[in-house]
Amino acid sequence: MEMNKIESPEESRKLLDKIVFDLTRSIVKKDELTRFWFFILIVFAGVGLWGWAIQIDQGLGVTGMRDYVSWGMYIANFVFFVAFSLVGFLISSAMHLLNIHWVKPISRVAEQVAIAGVALAGIIIVMDMGRPDRLLNVFLHGRFASPIVWDLTVVTTYLTISVLLFYIPLIPDLALLRDRLGDEVPKWKMKIYTILSLGWKGNAKQYKTVYHAMRVLMILIVPVGLSIHTVTSWLFAATLRAGWDTTIFGPYFVAGAFVAGVAAVIILMYIYRIRHGLQEYFEDIHFDKMAKLLVFVSLVYLYFNVNEFLVPGYKMKTAEGIHLSNIFSGGYSLMFWSVQISGLILPTILLLFKFFRKPLSLVIISVVVLATAWLKRFIIVIPTMEHPFLPIQNVPENFHHYAPTSIEIMITLFSFCAAILIISVLAKFFPVITIWEYAEEKGIDKKYLSEQPKN
Amino acid sequence: MDKNTRRKFMKTLGASIGAAGIIGSSSLLSSCNKVETVAGDKITLLTSSGELVEVDKAMLKPADMPSLSENQKRGREGLPGKSWVMVIDLAKCRNARECMKACQNHHQLRPEQHHINVLQMQDTEDTAPYYMPKPCKHCDNPPCTKVCPVNATFKRDDGIVLIDNERCIGCRFCVAACPYSARVFHWFEPRDAEKYEGVAYNIECNVPQKKGTISKCLFSADRLRDDKLPTCVSACPNGVYWFGDRNEDAVTNGTTKETVSFSKLVKDNAAYTLMAELGTKPRVYYLPPKDRTSPFQGNIEEHHS
Amino acid sequence: MIKKLTLLIVVILFLSAQQGISQEWLVPADKQSIENPSDYNLENVKKGKDLYMTNCKSCHGDAGKNNSLALVPLPPDIASETMQANSEGSLFYKLSNGKGLMPAFETTLPEADRWLLVNYIMNYSPDNTPVWVDLPPVKARLKATVNTVNRLVEIFAEAENKTGNYSNLTETPVNVCVERAFGNLPIGQVLTDNEGNAEFSIPENIIGDEEGFVTVVVSLGEDFEAKKVTVEKLKIGIPKETPKLIKKGVIWSTNENIPMWMLLSYLGAVGGAWLAIIYVVFQIVKIRRLSKE
Repeated sequence: MEMNKIESPEESRKLLDKIVFDLTRSIVKKDELTRFWFFILIVFAGVGLWGWAIQIDQGLGVTGMRDYVSWGMYIANFVFFVAFSLVGFLISSAMHLLNIHWVKPISRVAEQVAIAGVALAGIIIVMDMGRPDRLLNVFLHGRFASPIVWDLTVVTTYLTISVLLFYIPLIPDLALLRDRLGDEVPKWKMKIYTILSLGWKGNAKQYKTVYHAMRVLMILIVPVGLSIHTVTSWLFAATLRAGWDTTIFGPYFVAGAFVAGVAAVIILMYIYRIRHGLQEYFEDIHFDKMAKLLVFVSLVYLYFNVNEFLVPGYKMKTAEGIHLSNIFSGGYSLMFWSVQISGLILPTILLLFKFFRKPLSLVIISVVVLATAWLKRFIIVIPTMEHPFLPIQNVPENFHHYAPTSIEIMITLFSFCAAILIISVLAKFFPVITIWEYAEEKGIDKKYLSEQPKN
Repeated sequence: MDKNTRRKFMKTLGASIGAAGIIGSSSLLSSCNKVETVAGDKITLLTSSGELVEVDKAMLKPADMPSLSENQKRGREGLPGKSWVMVIDLAKCRNARECMKACQNHHQLRPEQHHINVLQMQDTEDTAPYYMPKPCKHCDNPPCTKVCPVNATFKRDDGIVLIDNERCIGCRFCVAACPYSARVFHWFEPRDAEKYEGVAYNIECNVPQKKGTISKCLFSADRLRDDKLPTCVSACPNGVYWFGDRNEDAVTNGTTKETVSFSKLVKDNAAYTLMAELGTKPRVYYLPPKDRTSPFQGNIEEHHS
Repeated sequence: MIKKLTLLIVVILFLSAQQGISQEWLVPADKQSIENPSDYNLENVKKGKDLYMTNCKSCHGDAGKNNSLALVPLPPDIASETMQANSEGSLFYKLSNGKGLMPAFETTLPEADRWLLVNYIMNYSPDNTPVWVDLPPVKARLKATVNTVNRLVEIFAEAENKTGNYSNLTETPVNVCVERAFGNLPIGQVLTDNEGNAEFSIPENIIGDEEGFVTVVVSLGEDFEAKKVTVEKLKIGIPKETPKLIKKGVIWSTNENIPMWMLLSYLGAVGGAWLAIIYVVFQIVKIRRLSKE
C-alpha cells in the first residue's frame, strides 16, 4: 500500500512481471468453469428474452400489473439498476478526487458495476414500455418538460461517461496486454487489444493526456451521477401520490444507491479475490475499508429513512396514513421491517466490529444488503400504487393487488443475467485492477511499463 | 361481398357513424327501426357504439371524414371559443350505471375498463355513503400531460385532455401521475379489436383503441364537435349530469334537457371539485349528495382499504 | 301437440316477463288501507300535478301517453292498469319508500305533498271522475321581433278559439330563452296583455358569442301547440370571454410553451455534459496522435 520507492530496476521489473502475471491470469486462463458460467448466463438471459417476446406478442397483460398498480417489478428493477450503478461515481470519481489512495485498485470494479447497472437500467425501461416499437417517438416528439426525457438523457450520458471512464485508464493496460500476452490469447483478442490501445507508447505527454481526460471525466461524473439518481427519484416524486410526494426523494435515493453499490462492489471484489487468487491485491485491508465505507453510507441512508418515514408517520395525513399503515403494520410490514432491519440497521451495527469486517463475513453481509436493496425498491414502487386516493372499485380482484407473474420473473432474470454477463465479459477481457496505476502505487516507475519484455 | 369491400365500407361507415355519434343505449332512442322495411342488399356494419347493425346498402353515403393527420390536427386544436365543464349532481345518482355502459360501447372498452366509473363513497364513518360517478376531471393544471414524454396526451384550448394513441409509447407515467385514477391501459388487445381493424383512427373518441396504449374519458370530444352532449351525459336516466360551455355560462342536463346558468347552479348548490387541495383545477364539479331520493344499496367495505 | 307447445311458449314467456319485473312489490296490509287525509278536489289534484311534473315525470312520463323512460323494470304510466291497481295507501307507501330505481320520496317530500301526488294519480282512476282534464294543447301562433335599440323582445300571441279562428291570446305566460351549446337557457317569462302583446326587456348581462351576438328563442308553455320563434344573431349580448388556456410558459403544455428557464436548464445541462464528453473523446484522439511522435 505504501509508496516505497524501489531502487533497483531489476526488482522493479520482477515485481511488474508478477503483477502483470497475476492480473492477467484470468484473461489468459481457459477453463471449463468459465465457459460453463458464460453458458449458464447466456441461456438464462435467452430464456428471459423469450419472456419478452411473449410479452410483446400478447401485451403487458401477461404481467401482474393492471390499471391501478401500473408500475411493477420492471420499474423496481430499473430503480435498482440505477442505484447499483451509482457506485461508479462514488468510488472512481468522488473518492479519487478526494485523493483516497486505497480505493484505486477498486475503481475498475466500480466502473464494471456502473456500466452493467446503467446499461440494464436503460434496457429494462424499454421492456416496461407498452409500445417498445415506438421508442423512437421519444426522440422525435420528446417533451423537454417530462422527467422521463430527462431520465433517458441522463442515463445515456452516464453510460457514455462510465464507458469512457472505464476505457481511458484502460489504454496503458491494453498496451501492456498487447505487448506481453503474445500467443497466450487468441489472435482476434490480440487484435482488439491492439486497436483499443491506440498505439500507446507510454510517453509523458500521453500519460499527461490520460490524467487530464480522467480528471475531466471524474469532475463531470459528479453532477451527472447525482442527476441520474435524482431524476429517477423524480419519476415518483413528480406525482401527487402518497409515499412518493416527498421532497427528500432525490437525496434519499442517492444515499440508498451508495449502500447497494458498495455492497455490489464488495461482492465482486470477493469473487475476484477467490476465483483469480488476488488475495494480495484485494487485501483484507481493502475489505476493512470498504466495510467502513458501507457503514458510513448506511448511516447516511438511515438518516434519510428516519426523515422519510418518521415525519409523515408522525402526522399520518389521510392518504399518507393509509400507505404508511400498510407498510408499517399491513401487508408489506414483514418485507418492510426485514429490509430495514436486516438490510440497514443490523449491517451497520455488525460492521462496527472488526470481526465482521473480515472478507467472508463482510461478503455475506453484503449479499444480504444487496438483496434487501432490491426489495426496498419493490417497496418504494408497489405499495403506493396499491393505495390510490380514490377507492378501487368495479374491477376484477386482481386489479387490487400486485404479484409478479412468471413472465415478469423471466424478464427480471434476463436483466440480472445480462448485467452479470456484462461484468463477466469485462472481467474476462480486461484486468480487474488498473495494472499501471497499481504498479505506480507499488513504486514502480512508469518507464518499466513501456519496456518490451525480454522473452 | 368480398372481404375488402366490406372492410372499406366498415371504414367509412364506422367513421361516419362515429361522427354522428349514435349511442349505445338504444333504449333511449328507439326511432330507427325503418331499416327492416327497406328491401335490397343488406350490409352488416359496426357502429361506434360497438354494435353490429344491418343497414341497407342504398342508405349508405360516403362519409366526410378528414384524413388521419387532419383528424389529429383538428383534434389537437379543439373547438374554438369553448370551455367545457361538467357538473355532477351526486344527490341524483342512483347507480344506474347507464353512463358506464354507454361509455364502454362508445369507446370500445372492456367491461373492466372505465372512462367513467361510479364509485361507492363514504367520507367518514359517520357520514352517509353515496354514489360518485368519476370521469376524467380534465384538469386545468393536468398532472398527466405534464409528465408525458412524447406529448401523446395533451390539453386543448377548450379544456379537454385528449390522448393520441398513435403516438403513445405506453410508459404509464400519466397513470402514476393522475391522482383520480382516471386512466386505463390496454394490457391486452382492446375489446372487439378485429371488428375495428382498418377503421380510421379518431383521436376525439380514441377509437380504435390500441394494445399497449392509454385511454381515458375524453368528454366525448367527437360528439361535442357535432353539437351533441357527451355519451354519459345523454345516457343518464336520472338527471345526474349537466354539461356545457363555461364561456357562455350555461350547462344542460342530459336527461331533462333543461339548460341553466352554470355559475348559479354551482353557487346555489355549494358545488365542489374533487381533491381541490391538490391544485389540479378540475373541470368537473360535484353537487353535494344532499336530499337523496334513493337509498344507498351498495357495500361500502371496499372503500379506502 | 301444437297447442301444448304454444302453451309451453306462453308459459315460458310469462315466466321470463315475470323475471324481468323481478319480484312483486308487496305492501304490508295495514299500509294498504291507510286513507288519504287530503280531499280529492281540483285544487289538490292540480297541486299534485305540479309536484308530479317536477319529481316524477322524468321517469314516468305524461299520464296516459305511455312515454315513460325505458328502464328495467319499466316505470308504469300513472294512468295504466298496473298503477291504478294500487290502493291509495299502497301508492303512498310505494312512493314514500321506493324500490330499486324508484326513489324513496319520504326523504325529500313532506307527507302532505306525497298525499297530493296520490291525489293526482287518483285523477286517472277508473273509479273516479277526473277533476282535472288534460286538454289537448291549443293551437297557437307566436310572433316575436327584437328591438335591439330599446333591448325589447316584442311578442304577439294568438290562439285558436272554439270556432276555429285565431284570436288574441291574453294573460298567457310566454317564455324567453337564449340559445346555448346544448339547449335554450331561460332568461325570463312575460305575460301577454289584452291584445295578445307582450314586451320583454332583455337583461344587460346576457352572454353572446365572441362578438356578442345572441339568438333569442320565444315559446309558449306546454298547454299550447305553437312553433317556437327563433330570432337569430342579434347584437344584444356581451361578447363571451374566451380566455386562452394554453399560454407560453406552462409546464403541462407542449415544447413550444415550455417555460424558458426549464428549456435553458435542460439544454444547458445536456449541452455542457456532452461538450465535455466530446472534449474527452478528442483527448482520446490526441493520445492516438501522440503515439506517433
